[in-house]
Amino acid sequence: MGIRVDALKCTGCMACEMACGYHRDDAFALLSSCIVAYRTREKKDYFGVILKEEESLVIARPEGVEVRKIGAAGESGGDSSAKPMLLRESCDLCSGMDAGPMCVRFCPVDAIILE
Amino acid sequence: MEYLSSGKILIVDLASSETREEELDEGLISKRIGGAGINNYLYNSYKDYDPIVLGAGILTGTLYPASDLSVLTARSPVTDNVCHCPVTLKAGIEFKYCGFDYLVVLGASAKPVFLWIHDGVADISDGSGVWGKDVWQTTDAWRRDMGDDLIQTLVIGKAGETGSDLAQVSVNYWGSGDVWGFASIFGKKRLKGIAMRGMGLLEIEDPEGFVEESMRLLESVKTGPWKGRSGLYDLLVSLGKNDVADWVAPLVHRNSASYNVPYAGNTFVYLDEDPSLLKEPQGAEPGLLLTSPYGLIAAKDMGLSAMDACRLIRSCLRYGIDPEMVALIASRDAKKRREDIESSMDSLERKGMKPWRPPFSPMVPRQPVFADFGVEGEPGQLEQWWLQRQALAYVFGIDPLFLIMSPELTAQSMIEAVRIGSGIEISEETLDGLVSEICGCN
Repeated sequence: MGIRVDALKCTGCMACEMACGYHRDDAFALLSSCIVAYRTREKKDYFGVILKEEESLVIARPEGVEVRKIGAAGESGGDSSAKPMLLRESCDLCSGMDAGPMCVRFCPVDAIILE
Repeated sequence: MEYLSSGKILIVDLASSETREEELDEGLISKRIGGAGINNYLYNSYKDYDPIVLGAGILTGTLYPASDLSVLTARSPVTDNVCHCPVTLKAGIEFKYCGFDYLVVLGASAKPVFLWIHDGVADISDGSGVWGKDVWQTTDAWRRDMGDDLIQTLVIGKAGETGSDLAQVSVNYWGSGDVWGFASIFGKKRLKGIAMRGMGLLEIEDPEGFVEESMRLLESVKTGPWKGRSGLYDLLVSLGKNDVADWVAPLVHRNSASYNVPYAGNTFVYLDEDPSLLKEPQGAEPGLLLTSPYGLIAAKDMGLSAMDACRLIRSCLRYGIDPEMVALIASRDAKKRREDIESSMDSLERKGMKPWRPPFSPMVPRQPVFADFGVEGEPGQLEQWWLQRQALAYVFGIDPLFLIMSPELTAQSMIEAVRIGSGIEISEETLDGLVSEICGCN
């Protein structure tokens, strides 16, 4: 079972990121989220979602989903604002929360689902 | 103020180059809640110093649906009233997470400056390197110089620097609801803009209760009639502007949403790339984000092609001037060619054109969109309804466009969210009195 993101449905609203931050910190914050809106290419309208799993980064972009093994040879660092992703905790599917993964529950357009 | 807040007000005096902090008193929130409510209070407290006030709503940056809004408040040089400009996209919440709930900018600087607010720190920085630059160049420069592409900006272009009353404060690169000439106040203060980045944290008094209530509200909102609709296309159709929607549709790339707003109300158009492209474009600046339908409507009325209209709007965004007013003035002056309008932006004058009615930005339609609010009767009833919905948005920090789409987001639900999230009890009488005060222009 895992999180799946449809980047073409995503509207970049960041609700998933805040919901994940709430799960981590029991408060509203974005610094600990393991799912983040990818939004550094603002002038190009190029956005999606990055999810940190136990052994990989899942990068959901308009052209499709890419899974990058963490630490694999050839892995690029990406943008400066994306680098802290590797330091964050991995997705635990919001274990311990009755409502299930918070990013799924708070996505207003159902771009994130649990499969 | 312990919850849903950083508890701080930042006062910046540009004349003396000094900054100081004040505590945000819980009693003030009980009486004036937040956003435009406290902005008005701060404006009046410092009105002898020509203040600009930026304030977050008490629900801004939470999981309450559509909680994207901060509010810019000042006395408009156009209307001579205290007016409010919505700050949406991701800039509204970035401010709240910077470590301050309110910012008051007083006086004028002797030389160009900008404010750099980040993680509870406020710097008055040298702005001479960006003075004279356009809006896009300035945001690019700040992001590059400070090494962070996620910095959010409120910034002016040349129109604001030269004191045009058509000048508009921009959000990052894009248009805002500033139809009040606030950018010219920035210009007079020699304030190029405000750069913001925050990694703060908002404590919640009852975290589980607040999130459960937000989830319940979102579930009810998600069944609303906006579902399945998106972007300016459907907004234009709902306004009866199907011709404008179809005219611009071939240029549409994707729609996007402001922070935590269910409806994707912003539409990006590609002018120099194939709009169907679904990978990163090669060009750095392939198009622009449209944040309001009204510039498009006015540009189509001029007889421009959709491509020329969007190119004109892009030029306006870079220059930092209200695209709708530019198109309306061009129509009045019988200017038909985009190039002629672009070359005359520094000499455009309002000359007798009636300003918008304060205090809220007309970037939000003055009618329900998609949903039925039961206000189809008397014109006065519709106007009153619109003012009240906008006042709620501007006080609590909720997206003003989504509030005219979503009857589920009631005043009672906001009062309840504040109670659960902060422990502060707000009576309906307090809210009603505040809404009346804000709606009545002073």
